[in-house]
Amino acid sequence: MSSTQRDTISVDVAPVEIAQRRNVTAPEQLDAVFDVRDLGVHYGASTAVSGVNLEIYRNLITAMIGPSGCGKSTFIRCLNRMNDLVPSARVTGQVLYHGQDLYGSGVDPVEVRRRIGMVFQRPNPFPKSIYDNVAWGPRVLGMRKGLDERVEKALRGAALWDEVKDRLKKSGLSLSGGQQQRLCIARAIAVEPDVLLLDEPASALDPLATASIEELMHELKRDYTLVIVTHNMQQAARVADMTAFFSLEVGDGTRTGVLVEYGPTDKVFTNPTDKRTEDYVTGRFG
Amino acid sequence: MRASFQEELNLLEATLQEEGAFVLRALRGALNALEQRDAELADEVIAFDDDVDDRYLRLEEGIQTLFARQTPVAGDLRLVLALLHMNLHLERMADYCVTIAKLAKLVPEVDPGPRFVEGFEEMGSRCEEMIRVALDSFRDRDLAAAESLVDLDELIDRANRRVVKRVLELGEDPALREYGIWMVIVSRALERIGDHAVDIGEQTSYLLTGQFREFTDASHPQPREV
Repeated sequence: MSSTQRDTISVDVAPVEIAQRRNVTAPEQLDAVFDVRDLGVHYGASTAVSGVNLEIYRNLITAMIGPSGCGKSTFIRCLNRMNDLVPSARVTGQVLYHGQDLYGSGVDPVEVRRRIGMVFQRPNPFPKSIYDNVAWGPRVLGMRKGLDERVEKALRGAALWDEVKDRLKKSGLSLSGGQQQRLCIARAIAVEPDVLLLDEPASALDPLATASIEELMHELKRDYTLVIVTHNMQQAARVADMTAFFSLEVGDGTRTGVLVEYGPTDKVFTNPTDKRTEDYVTGRFG
Repeated sequence: MRASFQEELNLLEATLQEEGAFVLRALRGALNALEQRDAELADEVIAFDDDVDDRYLRLEEGIQTLFARQTPVAGDLRLVLALLHMNLHLERMADYCVTIAKLAKLVPEVDPGPRFVEGFEEMGSRCEEMIRVALDSFRDRDLAAAESLVDLDELIDRANRRVVKRVLELGEDPALREYGIWMVIVSRALERIGDHAVDIGEQTSYLLTGQFREFTDASHPQPREV
């Protein structure tokens, strides 16, 4: 063989293939935090949600989208037993959290809510100081050791520390809407939860504050598993790794929320499997 | 239902079909100019490229606006992306028509024999058919018709190889040899137009299936998923 002879080109990979080898974890490698099996929620005689089966994976952001009244908020409230607080609500099926039935006997709802925190649509700080807002949860739960450090860590985690470190004794209500929502996130993470449930966390905020919350979600998913309910489909497209689309099944005088499609966000927004998902995300329905 | 959005999508698709019809006219004009050695017609074809470019730019701008304002997703997103690519393929086809028209003005006055001209007429007709199939299968959202473009393209590729063979048989006469060299370029231009038609078919396939797929690939003789 002469030295000038070209080596055989052995690389059998086109650039497009390399580009498409995206850094996405395959589902079989994902660790399910929640395994929801045939979940239903009933208020008295009416069924709000039925037949929901899905897994929610660790350190991912999972978005719930769908038209008003489709049961997406009802669904995530099942994940930390918030529906327990509604007297007529009854939950059927199973919610396994790290393999343990959340609704099993002997499960303490308070411990459930410590591990699975929640942030609501409207920022709802207590009428107390910024410091006390964050310190409240740890105090209640007896986490009194190193409280100052804990408060600082939570405020840093919520990307709020630099803005409030010089006025920790000021009222939480003195903050802007976006800051108040980050304060609520700091309050939620101060008790070192495993999961954060966010029920339309940015819908009452302006675009800049929304962007900062979305940015924060990307930071938070390193340490937490996030589940977000959003009316804003583009928000789901921007932040979520996985997206679940809920819809309403209208029967004879009944309206029941059902899970229509659940998958990686880019699949849901480029090539959804179900016609109802396609119609909703393209704005042709809902 | 976003009525104005749907209207914008319809308008973009209609503009693409119009651009496609223009490419067919340009191709027919270029082939006639070549066959009849009609320099005037060749100039018309060259000037007509401005009309194709006008549609091309309109589509580009329309797609840009649609992305900026409407944020298309799912089937809408795939349609807009497919239009973006098809637009470029049609514009390139029109440029090849201009190349043929320019060469039609350059060819020396020689008689290479009737087989030569017939060969180009056959290739040109097949190109026209492929462009029609590409545009119609997109309009009708017809996956099988889009995939059939591969077989049609194979016929053009074969014709291209025949042209090269005939050029080699033209002999020693310098004028004939010069003619032959230009004709190899014409043949190559037609062959490329066929390739772009196949690429449009691939975009239709993407629109319908959501999968990027090359119908054929020189480095992977069998059709494959990419």
